[in-house]
Amino acid sequence: MRSTLRTLMGLMAVLVLALGAAACGGDDGDDGGGGGGDGAGGGGGRTGGTAIVNYTSFPDYMDPALSYTLEGWNSLWVVYTPLLAYRHEEGAAGAELIPGLAEALPEVTNGGKTYKLKLRQGLKYSDGSPVKASDFEHSIKRVLNLESGGSAFYLGIIGAEDYVKKGKPKGDIKGIVTDDSTGDITINLKDADGSFQYVLAMNFASLVPSNTPFENLTKDPPPGVGPFKFENMRQSRGYDLVRNENYTPIEGIPEPKLDKVTVSIVKNQQRQVQDVIQNKVDWIIDPPAPDQMREVKAKYSDRFEEYVTNSTYYYFMNERVKPFDDENVRKAVNFALDKRALAKRFGGLLEPGCNFLPPGMKGYEKIDPCPYGVPGEAPDIEKAKQLIEEAGVKGDKVTVWANDEDPSKPTGEYLQDVLKQIGFDAELRIVEASNYFTTIGNQRTKSQIGFANWFQDFPHPRNFMFLVQGSSIQNTNNQNYGNVDDPEINRLLDQANKEADLEKAAPMYAQVDKLLVERAHTAPYGHRKLANFTSERVDFENCTVTHPVYELDFTQFCLASGGAS
Amino acid sequence: MATTDSATQLPDFAGAYADSPAEEIAAGTSPWRLAMRRLRRNKVALAFGALFLLIVALALAAPLYADHVAKTGPNSQHLGGGDQIEVDGKKVDPVALDGVPIGPQGFKAGGKYVLGADGGGRDVAVRLLYGARNSLFIGVVATIITVLLAVLLGLLAGYYRGWVDAVISRLMDILWAFPVLLLGIALGVALAFGGVELGPIAIRGNSLWIPTFVIGFVSIVYLARPIRGQVLSLREKEFVEAARAQGASDRRIMIGELLPNVASTILVFFPILLANAILLEAALSFLGAGVQAPNASWGTMLGEAYKLLITAPHLTLVPGLMLVLTVLAVNVFGDGVRDALDPRATIKLER
Repeated sequence: MRSTLRTLMGLMAVLVLALGAAACGGDDGDDGGGGGGDGAGGGGGRTGGTAIVNYTSFPDYMDPALSYTLEGWNSLWVVYTPLLAYRHEEGAAGAELIPGLAEALPEVTNGGKTYKLKLRQGLKYSDGSPVKASDFEHSIKRVLNLESGGSAFYLGIIGAEDYVKKGKPKGDIKGIVTDDSTGDITINLKDADGSFQYVLAMNFASLVPSNTPFENLTKDPPPGVGPFKFENMRQSRGYDLVRNENYTPIEGIPEPKLDKVTVSIVKNQQRQVQDVIQNKVDWIIDPPAPDQMREVKAKYSDRFEEYVTNSTYYYFMNERVKPFDDENVRKAVNFALDKRALAKRFGGLLEPGCNFLPPGMKGYEKIDPCPYGVPGEAPDIEKAKQLIEEAGVKGDKVTVWANDEDPSKPTGEYLQDVLKQIGFDAELRIVEASNYFTTIGNQRTKSQIGFANWFQDFPHPRNFMFLVQGSSIQNTNNQNYGNVDDPEINRLLDQANKEADLEKAAPMYAQVDKLLVERAHTAPYGHRKLANFTSERVDFENCTVTHPVYELDFTQFCLASGGAS
Repeated sequence: MATTDSATQLPDFAGAYADSPAEEIAAGTSPWRLAMRRLRRNKVALAFGALFLLIVALALAAPLYADHVAKTGPNSQHLGGGDQIEVDGKKVDPVALDGVPIGPQGFKAGGKYVLGADGGGRDVAVRLLYGARNSLFIGVVATIITVLLAVLLGLLAGYYRGWVDAVISRLMDILWAFPVLLLGIALGVALAFGGVELGPIAIRGNSLWIPTFVIGFVSIVYLARPIRGQVLSLREKEFVEAARAQGASDRRIMIGELLPNVASTILVFFPILLANAILLEAALSFLGAGVQAPNASWGTMLGEAYKLLITAPHLTLVPGLMLVLTVLAVNVFGDGVRDALDPRATIKLER
């Protein structure tokens, strides 16, 4: 999910305005103490009450079929539930698939091509209407018909491409068969796909009623099945998440502790942090700005924590273009990178790493020793220089690509400096952020080396490995920026991707990860950290549960017992 | 240009005035000399002129400072473990793990980081001087481009009138209609992305020439209009008619008769345009449409500084003060030049 990052970075860019606006103290949203509510007092924090949270920008969409950003998903996953879901827990437990609206995990037959599920009985949407099996097909049709960013995930279903081609909303997707009387849902795929269960657990596949129109419903989101429901949607300024009285708890998806979460959009990031410090706001989605980080860490460490996300930051090296067609040249780049130095350019919010897969991902096996030295220690510039000389590319012109936002620009500047040090005549090319990935993803650009990153869409290694798989190379909108096309890696990935049991597939992905690093197909340098920072009103110890996919879980978020409101 | 009855007016190459008893000037003293005399008396203007020259000299000395004092280049990053410096006997990282750079060290670190480090561990003093080179280069060359084009267009429009004037004036109106900064951003971003290829001339996207041309181009109107107005009035004067009667060609009249008569206007405008160009360059670079990373300019330095306004204020203050000083120096000196050449005029870059 690159859009997550873009949003994140966009938020950083907004800081410019924020600084300028700080003096004016623009009133972008509701603030002031929330609170209230009768403390029923459960183990760790109380139930009831209102929490106020701040986002820096309004989510892209408030419609489960369309939203493809962290902000959107953070709110949507507690309002809508797909057939399969994730346990509301931290770490590996949170990445585990559980039955959501389906009674059980799917029965996979036909060589991994057919998925059979059965809808739970007696489910109701937040408006009280019953949930039907056919709602699933309608929900997928909305994703495809609205040309959602997530539509590509569902094109593997038989008939999905035809449905899109015909362009008729009410058309049929042949591969989805539902029976409202029994609640049976059968999905037929064109090819076996081991990660399809995770695709079914994405927000896009959340169920909405069959009469939901084929349009962007951000202004008036459709009802869903989830612990919360939306209320008081204030266009571009915020909304409330209130307890859904029609929600019957599903194992793993708890009822909310809070009565209400008020989400307000406050563009000024500095103000957000100040408001959390002063207990006017209970949680902010973005980490404190670099300027405030020191103060927050020093004075408020009891309510601040950093965590590593399932993301990877790396430099791509285009293997179809000289000099990076040479494995030794790519190795030289890996030898020359100082990952600790790069972490500084992220304001410390980067966990240096050697692997391409992030540590929280199944299939991650720490590559130790890292062939290019311990991440976090000094690089081997001399070795890199020697490799460059041996390859006979010393003095070659190399263009480094980056976009104009943080951290892409500073990491691009860093890479240019490093390439100069090891003997290249390196030049930096900065492209406007919104055009960046389409520019480097166009084969005609012949981009040699540059910034790339990936945030998980779902906790399955395939979601990362497609970035380096030969079959994903395209002429335009290519996401395999380095045109990595290693026969052994391709073979392993083909095999792993078909395997429905992730436990069995994980070692294969780990092997691919190792090969990728050993053969220097990319130059990964770390994994992004984010942070939770809450007010004193919040029971920080017990109630800030960071889910590996959706970040803070609002269902378990709660106020401290007896805390001030 | 007004006719003459006092020595305090604009200089006239015919030397027909400058005979005011108050100034006690010998008959025949050239008006340029008079202007120089007035400028020399304006000590404030001269002081700021000297300050500007000092800044230029510092900018020219940037490589010397980089090689012999700071011992690092303007784009060299120092983020690794081996880049620690010794301050008062203690080893210090130029940039802390949380990305916050050290502040000004004076000469405690043996000439390194005199004005502190930036987020990439680059020496701010070195970048400031190299930035000065870029900022001044763009400012001066852009102003020269503006002057050349504006004088050409102003002369043509004012002298030929008719359809030539109509076309040029309407073009000026169109240019005038765009807010300068927005036009600069649009052109700067568009050109920086793909570079420019005009026949055999290919300019890369990160070349300094792109912001130079953009700034030179968008400022034309400021000067072309006043020149056109002056030429419209001058072309009716007797000396032009005399030249025409002698059979002088249009080109000769424009270059030989009209141009010298608008020279004082050009001189007065030059510093104003220069200050404006330096500021515009800083604004464009701040917004990412001017000098491209990693090259330094005061604008790009400011653009990278705002994120650490509180924890590393030197990143904002150092280039900010330099910018203020330079623009102030150019403006005050420019005012002195204007007072010397035309004490009564009030010229501002206004719409």
